[in-house]
Amino acid sequence: MEANSANTRMITTRKEFYRKFRKKSIAQELWGRFVKNKTAVLGLAIFIMILLLAVFAPLIADYDTVVIKLNIAERLQKPSAKYIFGTDEMGRDIFARIIYGARNSLTISFVSVAFALTLGGLLGAISGYYGGLVDNIIMRIMDVFLCLPEILMALAFVAVFGTSIPNLIISAGLSFSPKFARIVRSAVLSVRGSEYLEAARSIGARDFYIIINHVIINCIGPIIVQVTLYIAHAILIISSLSFIGLGVQPPAPEWGNMLSSGREYMREAAYLVISPGLAIFFTILSLNLLGDGLRDTLDPRLKQ
Amino acid sequence: MEDKKTNGSGNLLNIENLVIQYVSDEEVTHAVNGIDLHISAGKTLGLVGETGAGKTTTALSILNLVPSPQGRIISGKVEVNGVDVFKMSAKQLHAHRGNSVAMIFQDPMTALNPIKTVGAQIAEGIEIHKGLGKTAALAEAIKMLELVGIPGGRANEYPHQFSGGMKQRVVIAIALACNPLLLIADEPTTALDVTIQAQVLKLINELRVKYRMSMLMITHDLGIVAEVCDSVAIMYAGKIVEYGSLEDIFDHYRHPYTKGLFDSLPNIEDRQAELKPIKGLIPDPTNLPTGCAFHPRCDYCTEECKSGEPFARQVSETHMVRCNLYRETDRDML
Repeated sequence: MEANSANTRMITTRKEFYRKFRKKSIAQELWGRFVKNKTAVLGLAIFIMILLLAVFAPLIADYDTVVIKLNIAERLQKPSAKYIFGTDEMGRDIFARIIYGARNSLTISFVSVAFALTLGGLLGAISGYYGGLVDNIIMRIMDVFLCLPEILMALAFVAVFGTSIPNLIISAGLSFSPKFARIVRSAVLSVRGSEYLEAARSIGARDFYIIINHVIINCIGPIIVQVTLYIAHAILIISSLSFIGLGVQPPAPEWGNMLSSGREYMREAAYLVISPGLAIFFTILSLNLLGDGLRDTLDPRLKQ
Repeated sequence: MEDKKTNGSGNLLNIENLVIQYVSDEEVTHAVNGIDLHISAGKTLGLVGETGAGKTTTALSILNLVPSPQGRIISGKVEVNGVDVFKMSAKQLHAHRGNSVAMIFQDPMTALNPIKTVGAQIAEGIEIHKGLGKTAALAEAIKMLELVGIPGGRANEYPHQFSGGMKQRVVIAIALACNPLLLIADEPTTALDVTIQAQVLKLINELRVKYRMSMLMITHDLGIVAEVCDSVAIMYAGKIVEYGSLEDIFDHYRHPYTKGLFDSLPNIEDRQAELKPIKGLIPDPTNLPTGCAFHPRCDYCTEECKSGEPFARQVSETHMVRCNLYRETDRDML
């Protein structure tokens, strides 16, 4: 006991206290853990590069004159110093179209996943928290939606309501919602029965406090991972829809519709399909690496 | 730590005629069937019984945490410091839990949130009840950690970085953080190995004496009871079958079930002696036997035991036994 009280006496000032027990903030600690994972850092680097290109696209190329304007004299140019990815069948710079395409792909996929997370997450959390009849009703409806392939659901929605970017977002968001509902529900369920919630109740914590401090914090890992993976998935769905002509409409650039229009010239000008294909490939790869890395980072049990 | 004063001079904990059932679609589990328990300030009561006797349900009812909607309190009352727990408002309950009654859970592996630092988890109760800010609560939590013998510098480590015994110390620190009047220890050493058990028990007992807390020690280990308890209640199938001071139970036990418990302890002097377990198993709480719940396993069972429930009989001022063998006399059967 003497030794203990000496220890407590040592921490007298707030400054000293911080120095001793708060060397790193939580964000710093997580970052420290994240950078140890080399593949995750690679994924983050690729993703940030794509994001920067998309954000600063207007500084690199002009939309009206380079991206959508017909320029027959320069059609089907091979990659060169002037056009690093070459030009397409209408003489437009493929590199410029790819970075503008990233704007479309990333916006649509981010917003549709955010939409799915809000709707599906809310339904899943309600299901998991209340259980019983509420759970049954919500989850059976979700099961019906799960039976339909995402692409078919999105297709049906777009076919009925017309092709526009808001419709694309809603259709992708709706088709992802059941997945998020299931993920959030199972995360809430796995936490709901735990003894530490009982322990928290036994020291007088309120339900709201418990939900914020114990339930959500324990679900956030799997949710973040799924979000990164589903953004990748959304990019694929949007590209597929554009490929069959139901997504982003030409002349607006989108990786899917670039692939689609390029496939007719695949034999003589393979770069037409290789560059948008690689763009999709690297974006999805980076998001998957990032997702795996985040999962490892957010789980303190894997901490070395 | 400031002292909380108890209300008047009565018992700190009064449980009267408590009946709790778990109701599901198919069946009704009779977990607690009318028990009376009392703990006066600063004393320790041992609640002893086999698995499934209703010990933990009793403990949860003191915090009004019996899982609902399956768990139903059919009748009875639980008074802590003169206030009926079942009649408390939500606000009173939040103040009651942790502040006047705290619980040490059985399994430290699951009672701690794996993704929060132990310091933050100890600080939680302090934040809630003492109204301190995060930093001040964490400083207080570090003091608690040192009190249970863990270096304060480990406060920002996670539960998986601690051993089982250390985790149980953290759980104890959480329970004691707000200096409760009553500490419920629900088999606090069951999940620990024997060498650690003794340390943890010693720690709990030292802190209990230091802060003048009352304690309800739930256990099935008579050795623990002998070490820390002032009085003992023997629980069987949701009923208290024998209740008395430590001396009453250990030196003058009356109930055949209590006798069975002592007989099933290994005899250290005679290593050749065979153990005498109580025959049979604890009855299914959804389908309790008629009459005395113990009668199918009892060596002294009579016809009377099979039909009528035995009444509680006061053998001495402190000693109660619920058995037909002690109809009116006080004779020493054993």
